[in-house]
Amino acid sequence: MKTGISIFIAAFVALGASWCGLVLAPSLQLGGAKETVVLQSADHWPQQRTGDATLGLQVYRASGCAACHTEQIRQTGVATEVTVTGLGAHQPDDFGAFVKSLFILPTLVEYTNAIAASLQGWHGELPRTLLTSANQQVVSEMANRLKAIGVKSETRIVPQGDDIIARGWGYRQSVAADYLYDQPVQLGGLRAGPDLSNIGVRMPDANWQWQHLYAPKSVVKTSTMPSFKFLFEVRPVGHVPSPDALKLAADFAPGPGLEVVPKPEARQLAAYLLSLKANVPLYEAPFTPVTAVK
Amino acid sequence: MSDENPSCPTPSGGEPTSTRSAAPMWIIVTTLVLLFLGGYYFDQHSGWFNPKVYAPYPNAEALGAYQPMSGDAAALARGKTVYESVCGICHGADGLGKPGQAPALAASELVITKGFNRLAHIPLAGLNGPIKVCGKDWSMAMAAMGAALPDDDLAAVLTYIRGAWGNKAGPVTGDDIKKIRAEIGKAPQVMTGDMMMKLPE
Amino acid sequence: MNQTANKSDCSGELEASLRVPLLALFGGAVIWLVVGLVLGLIAAIKFHAPEFLSACPLLTYGRVAPAANDAVLYGFCLPAGLGVMLWIFARLSQRPLALPVVPVVAAHLWHLGVLVGLGGILAGESTGHLWLEFPRAAAVLIFAAFLLVALSAAATFGWRRERNLYPSHWFLFAALLWFPWIYSTANLLLVSHTLPRGVVQPVIGWWFANNLIFVWLALMGIGTAFYFLPKIAGRSLASSGYALFGFLTLIFFGTWCGIPQSAPVPAWLPAASALGALLSVIPLLALALVAKKTVSGANVACLGGPFCFIKFGVLSFVLSGVLYVSQFCPRYSLILDFTWFGFGVTQWQLLGFAGMILMGAIYEILPKVMGQPLPFPKLARWNFFFFAGGVLLFVIPLLIGGVEQGMQWHDARVPFADASAVALKFLRVSTTGQLLVLLGSLCLLLNVFVMTIQWKLGLVKSVLAYLTSPLAASEVKP
Repeated sequence: MKTGISIFIAAFVALGASWCGLVLAPSLQLGGAKETVVLQSADHWPQQRTGDATLGLQVYRASGCAACHTEQIRQTGVATEVTVTGLGAHQPDDFGAFVKSLFILPTLVEYTNAIAASLQGWHGELPRTLLTSANQQVVSEMANRLKAIGVKSETRIVPQGDDIIARGWGYRQSVAADYLYDQPVQLGGLRAGPDLSNIGVRMPDANWQWQHLYAPKSVVKTSTMPSFKFLFEVRPVGHVPSPDALKLAADFAPGPGLEVVPKPEARQLAAYLLSLKANVPLYEAPFTPVTAVK
Repeated sequence: MSDENPSCPTPSGGEPTSTRSAAPMWIIVTTLVLLFLGGYYFDQHSGWFNPKVYAPYPNAEALGAYQPMSGDAAALARGKTVYESVCGICHGADGLGKPGQAPALAASELVITKGFNRLAHIPLAGLNGPIKVCGKDWSMAMAAMGAALPDDDLAAVLTYIRGAWGNKAGPVTGDDIKKIRAEIGKAPQVMTGDMMMKLPE
Repeated sequence: MNQTANKSDCSGELEASLRVPLLALFGGAVIWLVVGLVLGLIAAIKFHAPEFLSACPLLTYGRVAPAANDAVLYGFCLPAGLGVMLWIFARLSQRPLALPVVPVVAAHLWHLGVLVGLGGILAGESTGHLWLEFPRAAAVLIFAAFLLVALSAAATFGWRRERNLYPSHWFLFAALLWFPWIYSTANLLLVSHTLPRGVVQPVIGWWFANNLIFVWLALMGIGTAFYFLPKIAGRSLASSGYALFGFLTLIFFGTWCGIPQSAPVPAWLPAASALGALLSVIPLLALALVAKKTVSGANVACLGGPFCFIKFGVLSFVLSGVLYVSQFCPRYSLILDFTWFGFGVTQWQLLGFAGMILMGAIYEILPKVMGQPLPFPKLARWNFFFFAGGVLLFVIPLLIGGVEQGMQWHDARVPFADASAVALKFLRVSTTGQLLVLLGSLCLLLNVFVMTIQWKLGLVKSVLAYLTSPLAASEVKP
């Protein structure tokens, strides 16, 4: 490093390499992505947003919602589980005895406690998940054994991870395809509030969303979210009350003769929130939808 | 500069200098060790730039194993699973059989036949030697290992056996198995080799 | 007038050439530091009282929080860093600043850009990309201003009298190249022309943020520290071999960090960042060793002086760097991602590392450039103790609270709100720290501004004196 030019070359090569790796390569690989196909279906993913929801993303951006909310689900693993859906000719008791008789199988030895626990206090309610394991072979062997004695069962792919299991915020991890139509993409980096990847599935009622934006504590007592009253208009009730008036609890209502109605921004923001869904299986993030069990 | 102009006060010791030395060996070695460990991690977890592979799936193969299959592919995969858990213990995962236990299935004249009536009878009814397979005489007994398997699974296993390891015989369906099972009846009698050879192919 | 003429060719001329540019850069920077810390305090108070100022859309949390971060980074760290770099380049080149008017123009453009940017964020015109929230107009101003300052710095470097390079040169010179590249890439791709679709946007954002906050701040801060530590200690910088190795590994490996392990992108991107982060431990170690060897045993009584500031800054660099890198370890990231931990680390990098080193440098440089002592040297010492204590009180609860929060999220029996409530307890302590940091920055503001006003009064006085003084006999025309 004796001359300016050698520093220049070193810095140029170093930054150029990372530019190629983390800017150019992802742009080439993902920047021109197209819609993908939902697993075992002809549907495309993701769906275009409605006009209101597209405008709502801009309200989301301008209000800086991403400062406290993420839109990304983490997945730490994947398990397969076998769920009993029909006992056939068997009674719960003799089915239990049959399952215990399988414990001598070498493949099942390490799962005996888990299987025994899954049948604890069971009186034949269906469906009942018998075995969950990251090892597909073990689960499929169990399914085979059940099939052999005429017990009906489903084998399901269940993504694992705190966001999915402990928090119930999603069905599978978020993948690039989910953000295809977001402009700008609002991933967020801090969870001062819950993840919103599936808020449209979890809270599908627009009026609930409005109440929550107007007075967060009126629907979530422990909320630390500031209210967004400036997205709403408080006005005297007309001849006919507005159908969109917020159904507020008495403590939060503005007073007799007054109603709270959403301004266009609040409507758009709620439409955007309701459009947030990541609930279909994709090739890169497979899972078995819950509806398949029934 | 201050030497040239003694009237100027020296600005607190002048400009700093640095002592020259080479980078020591230990830090270079540490870097190389970390580079090796990190490279190993990258190899194991990156999916090698595959755009479909996301953590926690380590590579495309692991991701593929979780794809729900349909039609023939699903039946074949099913057949492989059932074969490996029921038949493979004696006949071997490679289908080459095991001396003193069970004959080969790969290229076996009992497997690659046009029809599969005889073949299906073996797991459904059981077989009590002697038979001749690939030029070797076998005089062993096989219980009716497939009698407890559902029709679809047994069909999947037979399809797998007839299509794997270079075998090129056609598939077997669950309905075929159902028919053969009905012919045999509820209380199958263990066949001898001669009895089997008298059955239609 | 006569006085400056007498000092002729020694450091007086050099310092005088930097007086106006540095006042312009530092003056605005210090204001933005205070503005950023006040905004940060408002944002923090909202966590204790969600309804605080919530009726005003300009001051909703989602706008105040990024505005606070950007004010500290773009308003303070960058322009103050540029000022310090200009001074060091001039000193190491042993010649006055080249093109001294250019940085003055640049400083005004820069501060105008920050004003436009912060106003834009508060008005809801944020771009929505983390650390790139400034709207396009502000980004253009800032980019142009940086190029102008870099031009002046490069010219000073090119025309240097002392041809031998000193380690600080490597770091600062690389920093000059770094920023225009990353800032133009990120803004062209994300703000001007929204070319890439979907998740590529945050990937570019992470690349940019890592290169600015981890790499650029390190280049600028360590380059500055490697100048001042040996200079104040009166020794030479220990082992340039370590320094060179640290420099090269920093620019080659540090730039690959940045993609969070939980990011919804194909596995190779986070894996590449994990690899980069693992190797980034090496430059942290090497640079820490250089600083340690240089100052250990040095007999400097600093008591809150610039030496203290810079030592604290280097220590912060190493510790915050290790914590930063640890976020990219796949195992730890499961707990740390999305908690207050990452926010705490960033604040430590901005205030504890870059902020401390820059304030120390400003306290060291200003008296020299202005040719007069600090107006309130005691306040400068208080500044150190407020800031050092404040940063630790601000950051450490966030780090602990973040880990605690992450562990609680893991436990399905703990509702989300309870896990957040745990973090709130820690936030209370950290808000106290923010208050102390703000007090410290007010000390700096007072010193810089009283000094500026004194200088301006002095200028006015000398002009008046010149106008009113009787003409010298030699100039009287017969």
